[in-house]
Amino acid sequence: MNQMREPAFDRIVGLVLQVGAFGCFFIMLAGLIDGLFMNGHIPLDIERAGVLLMLATPVVRVAVACFLFFREKDYKYGYVSLGVLVILLLGSVFGIGEH
Amino acid sequence: MVTVLLVIFGFLAGLLGALTGIGGGVLLTPILALHFGVPIRQAIGTSLVAVITTSAASSSVHLQRHTTDIRLGMTLELATSLGAAVMAYLVGYFNRSVLEGLFVAFLLYSSFTLLRSGGKLRSDKHAAAMTKENGHIPPYEPQRYPLGLSASLVAGALSGLLGIGGGPIKVPVMFIFMNVPLMVATATSNFMIGVTAAASAIVYYRRGDIQPGIAAPLAVGVFLGSLLGARLAPRVHTKIVVYLLVAVMLYLAAHLGVHLLGEVL
Repeated sequence: MNQMREPAFDRIVGLVLQVGAFGCFFIMLAGLIDGLFMNGHIPLDIERAGVLLMLATPVVRVAVACFLFFREKDYKYGYVSLGVLVILLLGSVFGIGEH
Repeated sequence: MVTVLLVIFGFLAGLLGALTGIGGGVLLTPILALHFGVPIRQAIGTSLVAVITTSAASSSVHLQRHTTDIRLGMTLELATSLGAAVMAYLVGYFNRSVLEGLFVAFLLYSSFTLLRSGGKLRSDKHAAAMTKENGHIPPYEPQRYPLGLSASLVAGALSGLLGIGGGPIKVPVMFIFMNVPLMVATATSNFMIGVTAAASAIVYYRRGDIQPGIAAPLAVGVFLGSLLGARLAPRVHTKIVVYLLVAVMLYLAAHLGVHLLGEVL
């Protein structure tokens, strides 16, 4: 069986996603409320922070899983996670394309 | 005012997406392009942010139920994220009309697929599997990795091209070809969507194709809509909702098609 389910593993990865999703939601919501009632320039920065946190959440999720796999000495999946992480990070280095 | 409208449209797309299980991504890009005057490439990038938010929230629920196969998901993510990142990069070189044309084709294809199945989202084979599984995961061993990885590469590329999650591609691939129980396939697909969308969203963001002022209200709306949709889903008559979704998709395809003709001619 491939899926040896480790409850702790699921819980930690799930927690990363939950914190990311709800964190972003409330940051973006704060930005919206601020923007609607104050019309300043600050809200855009708050919203940008929310978007950046959202983009970072899956990356952190992969990094955490990678760390957990290596800690369990499950090297095969440790390297698989590392590969995914590299693809994600390469995108942020080279991914420009024509504007 | 635009902000409030974005929250409302995001909410409706998220609601419809969660009720049908198709995800709201397919509606977001054309709505942004047609009703908010967002250039199509920025519409795709912005839609991706909403897709990540939804995936993160729903995937954390699946993880708590221990139905996600993290190892399988991570392996297929190698292919989906590669496809998504490369495609997101290529999209920078596509012109606007090509992207809009591809989107019209995709909307029409999705509509006709749903119509042909008579408004049923899952085939009889799916339904039989759900009954058989009945909340218990049978022992399994994922098979045909080369096929699964190739299909994932295509699913990732489509995600980066259209700003969608691609669940309707990943679930059948895992369930039918890789011999993974449906419950696990669904949870694992959801798990993969966040990373896949992030792989292309990062490229879009770096290129300046994600405007936080649009992405934030949209994501807030989609987030709330999909939370409500997930709760209502068991109590709502799916067939009616699917036909409603098809109607919205056909309307958007027609509108986008007219828009496209106006550009080309």
